[in-house]
Amino acid sequence: MDFRKFRKRSPWILHYNTGSCNGCDIEILACLAPKYDVERFGILNRGNPKQSDILLVTGPVTKRAKERLLRLYFEMPEPKVVVAVGACACSGGVFRHMYNVENGVDKVIPVDVYVPGCAARPEAIIDGIVRALEILKEKGKEVELPHWCSAQVKPPVNRVKLLDRCLEELHGRR
Amino acid sequence: MGKRITVPFGSQHVALPEPVRFVFQTENEKIVDVEVDVGYVHRGIEKACATKFKYMQVGYVVARVCGLCAISHTLGYVTALERLMGVEVPKRALYLRLLVSELDRIHSHLLAMGHTAEVAGYENLFMQTFRHRELVMEMLELLTGNRVQFDFACPGGVNRDLTPEVEKVLREKLKVLEEKALWLRDVYENDFSLTLRWKGTGVVTEEMAKEMNVVGPPARAAGLKTDVRAEFDYLPFKEVGYRMVVLKGGSIYERNLVRALEVLNSIEMCWNILDGLPEGDIKVPVKGLPEGEMFVRIEAPRGELFYYIRGSKKLILDRVRIRVPTFANIPVMKELFVGMDYADVPATVISFDPCLSCTAR
Ligand code: SF4
Repeated sequence: MDFRKFRKRSPWILHYNTGSCNGCDIEILACLAPKYDVERFGILNRGNPKQSDILLVTGPVTKRAKERLLRLYFEMPEPKVVVAVGACACSGGVFRHMYNVENGVDKVIPVDVYVPGCAARPEAIIDGIVRALEILKEKGKEVELPHWCSAQVKPPVNRVKLLDRCLEELHGRR
Repeated sequence: MGKRITVPFGSQHVALPEPVRFVFQTENEKIVDVEVDVGYVHRGIEKACATKFKYMQVGYVVARVCGLCAISHTLGYVTALERLMGVEVPKRALYLRLLVSELDRIHSHLLAMGHTAEVAGYENLFMQTFRHRELVMEMLELLTGNRVQFDFACPGGVNRDLTPEVEKVLREKLKVLEEKALWLRDVYENDFSLTLRWKGTGVVTEEMAKEMNVVGPPARAAGLKTDVRAEFDYLPFKEVGYRMVVLKGGSIYERNLVRALEVLNSIEMCWNILDGLPEGDIKVPVKGLPEGEMFVRIEAPRGELFYYIRGSKKLILDRVRIRVPTFANIPVMKELFVGMDYADVPATVISFDPCLSCTAR
């Protein structure tokens, strides 16, 4: 059976704050609440990476959140999409070049959709999520690696080993 | 005696909107020890304020310390700067700042109340609270042009004036909001299952509050009379009908009730401001360079916010120091957890309404 058709009917989201100012986080909450209500797309917020399809990331990625973000990313099963919410998740925003930040989510994990705005408006976030659903439909089961990672993957993938390898490289880059 | 079990809570957790990490040592259901780690979102804002940004820009940067109380941070900074440079702010600007700061308090309190309800498993009330919160967000958007990061106050005044059309809509919305807020207070005060769950859980006594320097709604819920709005004169609160809300008890139930009552008081203040808004300029130019040092205290939605700045006749300040309310509340949380059931932990954490991006900056 082709599951692609059904995949976009009930995507679950995982939200992680990597050092944002909470502005975008409360807008994501507002999206889940009655007025904007993304549940009409079948979207539920479950804080469990193993069950999620969409990763919403806010914040410019601080040095300490980096490793957690990578872990969360590898814990999510394929196919998955990553949505960077807010100016600071896209490029660093006001926090760009502060000493403890990485200047954007795409420096650490691959990003599919960028939602701009400081704070990103709920309408923009919903638009981003809907685009993410389109991408989710097209994606296959192959593992996507961050651009800085030089590991080769062949199925079947050993996720634990892969994560270790990536973390090693991440710490080596420092 | 059961075996000791280590339970990590955070940094990413279902019940937590923010990355904070608690590591609990539990024996059976009781917690015997706890460690707190708040540093996940440290970005280095204080350092950047003293190296990268000019003193006129810093107000917009510190707003990004926290999105929930954005106006409080800007207000803290610009008040300090104005006092340092001896700028006389027009009355109208002061009242507009007050209006936005009270609306901001309402939305932040409603958010905290909604969250506590959600963690108690009362999804419906969470949704209702958030629905009414949208009214405030709409009002803020009309008034300032943005839903969350307003960038409303600037050194010397405010960035946007209140036009008569906007005022008309604000009045209509405020009326609806008042009704809803009364209803919400009723629910948070009298709902049977909520009182069963919350009364007597996570009690902060008055002595504890005094000793551990608790601030904000948790302190007032414990019976401690502390509110910067009454103690430090930074905006004309007395003229618009500010009343201090103090309750006895100090459990989760009282903390939420204090918030609900403060929302009502804030709405009343908003009415008074709209009725008696003085005419005049909204901004005066700020000239010169800051020299010397100054501190101010502000009542943010979560409690006392402290700003210290020092300049030495340069475009870039020497030091900006921020002390936030959540930071002051963490010791008492730690103390509370020891001896508590693990099942009560999420509700207790959320009822303090911690703001970690403030704490770590
Ligand atoms: S984009 Fe702006 S509002 Fe959103 S998290 Fe970053 S600083 Fe805050």
